[in-house]
Order: sequence, then C-alpha cells, then structure tokens
Amino acid sequence: MVMNELVIKNICFKNRESLAEATDKGDSEYILKDINISINRGDSLSILGPSGCGKTTLLRIIAGFEKPYSGEIFFREKNMSNVPTHKRNFGMMFQDFALFPHKNVFQNISFGLEMKKLPKKEITLRVQEMLELVNLEQYGKRDIRELSGGERQRVALARTLAPSPDLIMLDEPLGALDRQLRERLLADLCFILNRTINNRTKSKIVKTEEIKSRISKKNEVNKAITTIWVTHDHNEAFAVSDIVCVMSNGKVEQIDSIENLRNSPVNRVVADFLGL
Amino acid sequence: MDKRDKYLIPLIVGFIPFIFLLLFYFYPLAGIFIRSFFDQNDFTFQSIFSFKFLKQAVFFTNFLKIFESSRILSIIWFTFWQASVSTILTLIVALPCSYVMGTFEFKGKKLIMTLATLPFVLPTIVVATSFQIIPSLIQDTILLLLNSQVINLLLGEHIKNSLFDNQFLNFLKNENPIIMIFFAHVFYNFSVVLRITSSFWSSLSKDMKEAASILGANNFQTFFKVTLPLLRPAIFASAMLVFIFCFSSFGVVLILGGPSFSTIEVEIYRQAAHLFNLPVASILSLFQIFFTFAMMLVYTRLQKKIAMFTPESERFSLKKPYSAIEKLLVSLSVLFIILLCGLPMVALLLKSIYYKGSLSLIFYRELFLNSSGSIFYVSPIVAILNSLMFAFITLIMALIVGSCAAILIKQCSYTDQNLGINRNLSINRNPRINRNLTIKKYISSIQILFGKLLEPLFMLPLSTSAVTLGFGMIITLDKPPLNLRTSIFLIPIIHTLVAFPFVVRAVLPALKSIPLSLKEAASLMGASPFRVWLHIELPIIARALSIGAVFAFTVSLGEFGAALFAARPEFTTMPITIYKLLGQPGIMNYGQAMAMSSILMLVTSIGFIFIENIRQFGHEGF
Repeated sequence: MVMNELVIKNICFKNRESLAEATDKGDSEYILKDINISINRGDSLSILGPSGCGKTTLLRIIAGFEKPYSGEIFFREKNMSNVPTHKRNFGMMFQDFALFPHKNVFQNISFGLEMKKLPKKEITLRVQEMLELVNLEQYGKRDIRELSGGERQRVALARTLAPSPDLIMLDEPLGALDRQLRERLLADLCFILNRTINNRTKSKIVKTEEIKSRISKKNEVNKAITTIWVTHDHNEAFAVSDIVCVMSNGKVEQIDSIENLRNSPVNRVVADFLGL
Repeated sequence: MDKRDKYLIPLIVGFIPFIFLLLFYFYPLAGIFIRSFFDQNDFTFQSIFSFKFLKQAVFFTNFLKIFESSRILSIIWFTFWQASVSTILTLIVALPCSYVMGTFEFKGKKLIMTLATLPFVLPTIVVATSFQIIPSLIQDTILLLLNSQVINLLLGEHIKNSLFDNQFLNFLKNENPIIMIFFAHVFYNFSVVLRITSSFWSSLSKDMKEAASILGANNFQTFFKVTLPLLRPAIFASAMLVFIFCFSSFGVVLILGGPSFSTIEVEIYRQAAHLFNLPVASILSLFQIFFTFAMMLVYTRLQKKIAMFTPESERFSLKKPYSAIEKLLVSLSVLFIILLCGLPMVALLLKSIYYKGSLSLIFYRELFLNSSGSIFYVSPIVAILNSLMFAFITLIMALIVGSCAAILIKQCSYTDQNLGINRNLSINRNPRINRNLTIKKYISSIQILFGKLLEPLFMLPLSTSAVTLGFGMIITLDKPPLNLRTSIFLIPIIHTLVAFPFVVRAVLPALKSIPLSLKEAASLMGASPFRVWLHIELPIIARALSIGAVFAFTVSLGEFGAALFAARPEFTTMPITIYKLLGQPGIMNYGQAMAMSSILMLVTSIGFIFIENIRQFGHEGF
C-alpha cells in the first residue's frame, strides 16, 4: 500500500476580518471551502486556478503561515495543526523569491542549514553542492542585488533545496519573470528538481550522503521529494506535475492525472480553464 | 521643445537660486571662515579680491587659544555627550512604538501618527516653554495625590510616608535641567525615529520573515538574523538625524539649560551677542559647520543604503491586531504616544488659560495691551504682526527660489533619458553622425554630473544651523553694497534659506512625476511652452507647491536661533518675544509667554495638519 504523504482534510479558511465579526453569514465569506486533497510520497501536484481562487492561501496554510478556520493537515500521518512553521521541515519558493537582501548568495543558501545547527564544514560543502546543482558555482560571494531575475530564481531554488525539506512548495515560481525567460527556466527548474531526486537515490559522493543522512534520516528511503506547484498557467502545470488540482472560488473542482483531466473534465469551469 | 527653450529657460531659472545661495549662504560662511583664521576687522568684498586680508593672517593661533580653554572644551564635550544620551533615549522610547506602528493597522492610526509628529514641527521655543512648566506640574500632581485620601487608603499612611519621604520631595522640588533637556529632546525627536523606522518596518515584506521561518528559524532567530539586520540602516539613519538635531540644539538648551549648560550652538550665541567675542564665535561656528556637515554626509550615505535595502516588492504588510497580546501592545503604545506627545502640549494650553485658581483669558487679552507704557517696549501684538509679515515674505521668496531650484534640477536630470537614447543611436555607422553623437553624449554626461551635484547643493542650508547662518549674515552683510543689517528683509532672507530646501523637496518629486508624454500631447494640440506650463505642469504641482508654502510659512513663524541674532528690536518676532517674556519676572509676563506659545503652537499645528492631509500616501520619513 502506498502511504499518503500529505493529507488535507476538510480545510476551511476565512479572512481575519470576517472572523473578527464572528457572525456566520454563509458560504460567501469563505476563502477556502472544505478542501480535501491527499498526495502520495514523491508525487508532484499542481494547484491550478485563476488568481484569487485561494490557491496561495492553501499553500500558506500547508506551510503554517495561516491557521485554518477548520480542518486539519496531516503529514506522514502526523497532525501538523500545532506544529509551528519552523519545525515542519518544509521548503517554499516564494513568488518574488524573498531572498534576503542583506546576505550574499552563499549566506542565503546556508541560512536553513545554520538554523539546523550543522557544523560549518558541512554547511560549506552542502552550499557548494547546491551552487553546482543550479550552475552558479562562482556566485557564492555575489550580492543578491547583482543577480538577474533568472539567477535569483536559481538561488531561491538552491536555498529551498539546501536543508533537504520533506515537502517543497513553489508559489508561482516563474510568475515574476517575463515569458521568454519563463519558458527557458521552466525546463531548467524541472531538470534541477529531477537531478536532486536522482541524487538522492544514487549519490556518487559519500560525504554528501553522510550529510544528507544527518539532515534527515527519513529521506533515505524516499524515492523523491514531494512537490506542490501553484500556478495559473495550465501549460506550466501540465509540464511539471503528475497530478493537477483545479480550483476556483475557494473550492476544488477536480483532482486528477493530466490524462484524465484532458479527457474528461468534470464540469464547464474546469474545461474552460484548461482551454479545452 | 526647441533648442532655445531647452537651454535658455534653465539658465534664467537657475540664475535665481544660484545667486541667492552665493550671496546669502556662501558669502556669510566665507565671512565666518575668514574671521576664524585671520585677525581681520574690516572684511569686505574688496578685501577678498585684493588679498589684503592675507597679510593679517594669524593662522592657527586663534584656534589653539580657544581649544586650550577648559570651558570651551567642556562645552564641546557636553554637546557630544548630551546628543549621544538623547539619541539613545529616543531610540529606546521610539523603537517599540515603531514596531507596533510598522506591524499593525488600526482605527485612528493616522491621527496617532499625526499627533506623534506634531512635536517635531513645533517651534523650539514652544517645546522649551512647555517643558519648563512640566517639573512644577508633576510636582503639583504628586503633592495633590499625596494629600488626597486615595493614596492613604491604597497604601496606608505608614507606607506612604516611608515611600514619599522628604528626600523624595526635595528631589522633586529641585529642578534638574539636564533631565528636562533629555525629555525635551526625546519629545522633539521621537517622531523622527518613529516615522523612518516604522515606514521601513512596514515595507519589509512579510515574505522575508516567512522565508526565514520555513527555513527553520524561530521567531527569535527571525528577528535577530533577518528583521534586525534589514532594519539596521533605517535605525542608524534615524539615530544619525536625531544626533544632528540634538547636537545643534539651541532653543531647548538655551531656555532649559540655564547658565550652567551650554551647547556649542548656545555658546556661539553667547560669545557673539553677549560678549562680542567674534573670533571665538567664528571658530566655534566653523567647528559646528564642519561637524554637522560631516554627519549630514554620513546620513545621506545611510539614506542611500536604506533605498538599496528596501525590498523591491512595495507591498505593505500591515495586519489588524488580532490576539489579546497584540491588542494590548497596540493600546499601550497608543496610550504612550498620547501621553508623551499630547501631555506637554495640553499642559502648555492649560497653563495659558489658568490664572489665580480659575480659568481665564487674561493672558491673551494682555498680549494686545501696552501696559508698561515704555518707549522701548514692543507690544506682543506688534511681534505677532511682524512674525506674520516675515512669514508671508518668506513664503513668497521660498516658493520662487525653491521652485526655480526644482525646475533646474529636473531639467538636468532629463538628460538622463536623452543619454539613454544616444547610447542606442551610437551604433550608427556614419562617422559624422557618430562624432556628433559622441559630443552630445559628452555634453549630457557633464549635465548629469551637474544635475547630481545640484540636489545636495540646494540641501546644504539644511545642514547648517540657523544660529550660524544668522551670525554669518550679521558679520558680512553689514556694509555697502549689501547692507542688510537694518533691513526689514534680513530675517525673511535667513528664513528663506532655511525654508526653500523644503520647497525643493516637496516640488521636485511632483515635477519628476509628470511624464514627458503629457507635455508632448499638449504641445501637439497646439499649446505653447508657457501654456503647457500653465495648464499642465502648474495644476499637477499645485499640491506640492502648497505643501512647500505651508512649510515655509511655519518654519518662518517658529524660527528662533537666527532671528535672535538678526532681529532688531522694532522687528522682533513671536519666538523672541516669548524668550524675552520668559526672562522677565512676574506672573503676567510668564502667562503671556504661555499664551503666545499656545498661539504659535496652534498655528503651527494647523499648518502641519493641513500638510498631512494633502500629502499623498506613502511619503513618510524626512
């Protein structure tokens, strides 16, 4: 039996303002209504929907930035409701990358490793490995402001991957870039993510394997990292994921594999949004 | 725009602020400089060009003489010391509040921010006056409380007597000027730190903190590793600004400090006006100019760093206070700001309408009567009229000089765009066109350099203290062809010097915000350059101009240091009258000082509230 990695159970979310009013005026105030999603280990899920449909809010709830109004989130069968963000060991790539402007590339990538209190030597090794992974070997001492949009994106990815998170969330990771760059970088991004996945199973360097096992012993059995992408572009969603979840107005319209979505969209909304 | 307009208009427009600065800023400063290095009594225009003064140079002997004096040394030490302590105290008080203001959004926040900023725009004389009455006010309140039954009931007689013994009461009775100076400085500069850091705090995107927490940092680590390092330039910049203000504090120290405490600024005034020791005053002025200028340089560098560190996403991440703790934090800081900023002002107002145990307007009525009947006596009403007249002249002069300076700066920065076009064109293969373009590029790069220097140049008067300016003017502009010592225009000129940089700062962003396409569209539709200016540019910058105008008006009304130097008895202004009334014995004089301070405070506050309301959103800071 395949174990469910992430289970989202009956999540509802209201704005704080409407919460404060404390009167229940019905469904219209809900930003998220009864969301149920479960993902298997190693799956890549895309949350697809028009802007304002609540997909980023859902991601923020998974990350622990927002508390749901009701419902629960289980990760590896553990209820995450009362686990603070910094103890969840998730990774997130922000829409505008959120790189720390007062730190250089190296310091940005090493931040998560420092928080795990790894020895300096290991941090240096791991950051170097990450820089190689994203093809920015010589960029360690660069200032964030000196980087181009594409380079920033790769630093953000390296920073997200460095602490070996159990779950990676990407919030419109290409949203801040122009179209030409998006197309090129999307391929890069998929390639890099796949490479980390492969690295995990057959790493050539023993040292890095040691580090990884120290960082997260559970990951040794993983075949891949579970990823959640948030996007409003169905082409992007189809390119990066196995399963797509279409959302609109705070509700899940359909969760299915790309094939099934294409062949049998459940309703008009889904079909329209997929451009079918 | 044709070629003639492009160069002629800026030339004419630029002429006005340049001549103004040269005559009324650089010439007086040169006078101070020369006085401090050369033992020279008849320093004139002619003597500069004949190099006559060089023969009388005594070089550094004056300098050494002064710095051997232990009194001067202790004054310099006190100036630095009190400025540092005041700055640290202001930071301690303001930073927690700016956390709350930079994090939460709540009803009435704008009002609280306006109240918090009011002290900063109040004339120093008003601040000093209201802090002069605070010790007696606190003493009265505590005595009142002690005598009432409430404390007895709460604590019991025995505990009360042991807690509030005679020693404590004596401590209350002894006025402690240095504590009051610190209080006044904190009151005055609280908003500088609050506004700069809180607006920076709220512009720190929420993403930064969230990124840190998802990378495994707890709240504590997030604050010390991400938030604080990002805030650091804003904290340093505001601290630097507070230090500069406290370093050149004049009115507050002069009035609250009494004879025992004196900053360099106060000493310049004493040496020049009381002891007529001009060489010493000159050297101290030079010292003052040097230091404020150096600190101003550091400040502008820090400001650039702020601009660099401000995250690119300009989303403000303010939230409503939600949990009980958050609500408590907000209410505590609101209460604190009301107490800190509102109480001294309310105290002043109350004191001005409180006479012999009841409320009365007698002090206000007295302002309009010449009760002493002396011919040397200038009635307060004359001072009010003088002040209004000076403020009005200042307003007009500052608007003219300031907008001319702003237009000049903008005209020079326009070439920035031209250079961009030129760069693209320079790929052209035709060598003749290419050469022309290179020359054009050369010219516009010179213009850009010029434009970059212009902005700090016109801000220079801000970094020079008013006392120094007043002093420089009376020692240089006292002989034909420029004899302004007795002129009615001397005070408005000094005030314009202080006020016009504010006009530049208000008008320049508005001017720069007008896209070129608007003007092009208008001229395509047949408008002449003048009509374009009249119908397009002027209406767009009208708001900024009115902000500049009100600024100039209130700055002139409240200016104290320079006017004290330059005002002749018949041209005395409101702040000087307050100062004189404070120095005279009798409850009537004291009460009139309170009344006039209250009037000044109300006028300035109304002006400031007007500015706050028409100012566009987001322009916080200084």
